[in-house]
Amino acid sequence: LFCGSWGSFPAPFPRPCVGNSVERKIYIPLNHTAPCVRLLNATHQIGCQSSLSGDTGVIHVVEKEEDLEWALSKGPHPPYMILLNGNLFSRSGFLGLGTPKFGIKSHFPCPGLYSEEHGPEFAHCNGSVWNPLGSGVSYEDFPFPIFLLQDANETETIKECFRAHNVPAVPGAAPQFPLCAMQLQSHMHAAASTVTCMRRSSLQSTFSINPEIVCDPLLDYNVWSSLQPINASGKVEPEKRLILAATRVDSHSFFWNVAPGAEAAVGSFVSLLAAAQALQAAPGALGLPQNVLFVFFQGETFDYIGSSRLVFDMEQEKFPLRLENIGAFLELGQVSLRNDSVLWMHTDPISRRNQSVDSQVRDLLDVLNRSSPGSGVSLADPGVSQPLPPSSFQRFLRARSIPGVVLSDHRGQFHNRYFQSIYDTAENIGMHYPEGLTPEEQLEFVTETAEALAQVGTLLARALFSLAGGTDPTESIRADPKTVTRLLYGFLLNSNNSWFQSLIKPDQKGILGPFPQHYVAVASPTNTTQLLQAVLGNLTGIRLNLSREECQDPGKNPALQSELYEYWWVQGPLDGNSTSRIPGCVRSGVRLSPALSPAFELRRWDSREFSTWTESRWKDIRARIFLVASRELELLTLSLGMLVLLLSLLCTFIPRIPNPQFPNSQTPKCPNPQIPNSQSQIPKS
Amino acid sequence: MNLERVSNEEKLELCRKYYLGGFLLLPFLWLVNVVWFSLYLSQVCHLSRYVIRSAVGAALWGLGLGVWVGLFQTRRNQWGALGDALSFTQPMGEP
Repeated sequence: LFCGSWGSFPAPFPRPCVGNSVERKIYIPLNHTAPCVRLLNATHQIGCQSSLSGDTGVIHVVEKEEDLEWALSKGPHPPYMILLNGNLFSRSGFLGLGTPKFGIKSHFPCPGLYSEEHGPEFAHCNGSVWNPLGSGVSYEDFPFPIFLLQDANETETIKECFRAHNVPAVPGAAPQFPLCAMQLQSHMHAAASTVTCMRRSSLQSTFSINPEIVCDPLLDYNVWSSLQPINASGKVEPEKRLILAATRVDSHSFFWNVAPGAEAAVGSFVSLLAAAQALQAAPGALGLPQNVLFVFFQGETFDYIGSSRLVFDMEQEKFPLRLENIGAFLELGQVSLRNDSVLWMHTDPISRRNQSVDSQVRDLLDVLNRSSPGSGVSLADPGVSQPLPPSSFQRFLRARSIPGVVLSDHRGQFHNRYFQSIYDTAENIGMHYPEGLTPEEQLEFVTETAEALAQVGTLLARALFSLAGGTDPTESIRADPKTVTRLLYGFLLNSNNSWFQSLIKPDQKGILGPFPQHYVAVASPTNTTQLLQAVLGNLTGIRLNLSREECQDPGKNPALQSELYEYWWVQGPLDGNSTSRIPGCVRSGVRLSPALSPAFELRRWDSREFSTWTESRWKDIRARIFLVASRELELLTLSLGMLVLLLSLLCTFIPRIPNPQFPNSQTPKCPNPQIPNSQSQIPKS
Repeated sequence: MNLERVSNEEKLELCRKYYLGGFLLLPFLWLVNVVWFSLYLSQVCHLSRYVIRSAVGAALWGLGLGVWVGLFQTRRNQWGALGDALSFTQPMGEP
């Protein structure tokens, strides 16, 4: 099929014939992109905004800083669409784009619960600069669209188009029209702040026939489970003390739905999963005097949505536990980049000013120190005066002084160079596989990272066993590196692998796919949460010999104790070489608890106490490239058209205009001014 | 209605009715008076009284509405909750 070119502009370059639609001859869509979207909190908006029908600009490929300067100040055909490589995507580059008229300013104070009121040493964010390598670009507000190009082929297409049309034949001269241009459309509906967008949404839903909601709160579910079963709708007795082991699950980046979060989240929750499995399998675990609760918080990246909601639920008695029931709190911060196998034990100096809390914390540290020999992890204490790093534990401390420790691989600033960035991938935590492995072999290959994280899991499991009152020696408690490596592969490289496929319910197949990411999003539960639930259930639960009906409806059989356990009918592994599976019933104590910020429950959208992050809604997000003509040619075409229109109007209407009629212009005599109601006095004309 | 076929007395009556009606917060009646009847000012006695007064009224209303529309369009986004309560459709993506 010959696809000729239309109009006076040649097609950018030869490509296969896909039909004779004019649109397809003009535009090349970019399908593998990730946009930067608008997020809002109580007072500000961050992210990017485009015009309603998209912003168009002449493409300029920037390879060095000088190219950027040229495009900003000396380019002859503004506006430009800049194509930047990742390494130039830095704060200084952006502040260059943010000329004074954009006014890009950073307005986020130091994180955490430390401020001057706790003591002068905490003023001016002293001791709280945890991520100095971070550019802060994610939290700026840009009035133009920014997209991430994820497909190398598409990037090459754009560069070819640029080289073919936008580079002048003579260096230094201006390139001639037609030029290759790109249009990015990512128009966001919400504006100003959460207060504004939620107010507008509620006005719309109250008064409008067709309500237009403009933003949604970020929400998901926390995943929790316990060593010994707990009645999810009951209450734990007030004198019982439980040990809470927690970590975060989510991450964020500049671009929407691209949050690999390897060191920021995945490494930590994989270690906690391994510890949960090891502890559940430990002899005597089910008879320990104290129970252990494993909690995986969602939404922590956005002002601790999950943990603040759990604390709120505990205070409101909507959770089986209350804050008084927490005997100790152990949190895994970022643990995947340990130097010399050292793990730092961070504690809170403010609550330790109280003697009883301090002694409990010391006991906690002792137990940890006693559990470390033989696990491969060496523990270190950063000192009493050092404040806690940003962590979920801080939310619990705001409500009550609980003895607790946050374990992390960094003493002061993060070891993670790519915290909350698209580059926080498997490579960032050193996961390397030998060449030539099939995906199944990669799934099973135990990397060094997996060994290291298994050591952290071992340490945690042993410490939790001792904290819960176990007196037996803990050398036999070991986290399994094979499990850890499969978890790392599944949550960082490809979740559509044979192990994850065997853990999920038959209707959950859509949650598996390559390039997993962990953004909390506004549709819940996310793929990550559902997978986490399935995995935790498999690692801490047992397989039962029940039929499908019994498993899916356990309430009918009181012996199954459906208030204490969750029953899942999972797909199971493949049956040998065939395509059918061996399903089964898994009983576990894994539950979900809502992770929606209390600010939205209480409708306090300007809350300073709780997270108020929302994500804007949008209609269309797309990117495409095409050739554009010069402004002069466009105006000429338009003027010619208008001229033709006017001429044709004249030709059609002039012969038809009838003789104009004017009203009678006689002037009557006006008598004395009276109320002109009596008709007899006015002469008829 | 074709004013050419209406007698002068009826024109005056109509003009007066529209003039009085305009006081019920209906400035368009005054505008209609001005537009329709200014052609007949020289023909019908005492029409000018109503036409001029209607013109003044319509001009004042026009000025008032113009000022309000101008203020609303330019300042609405600074009015926060009041601006949103006064708006029938919310602008997307603008503060």
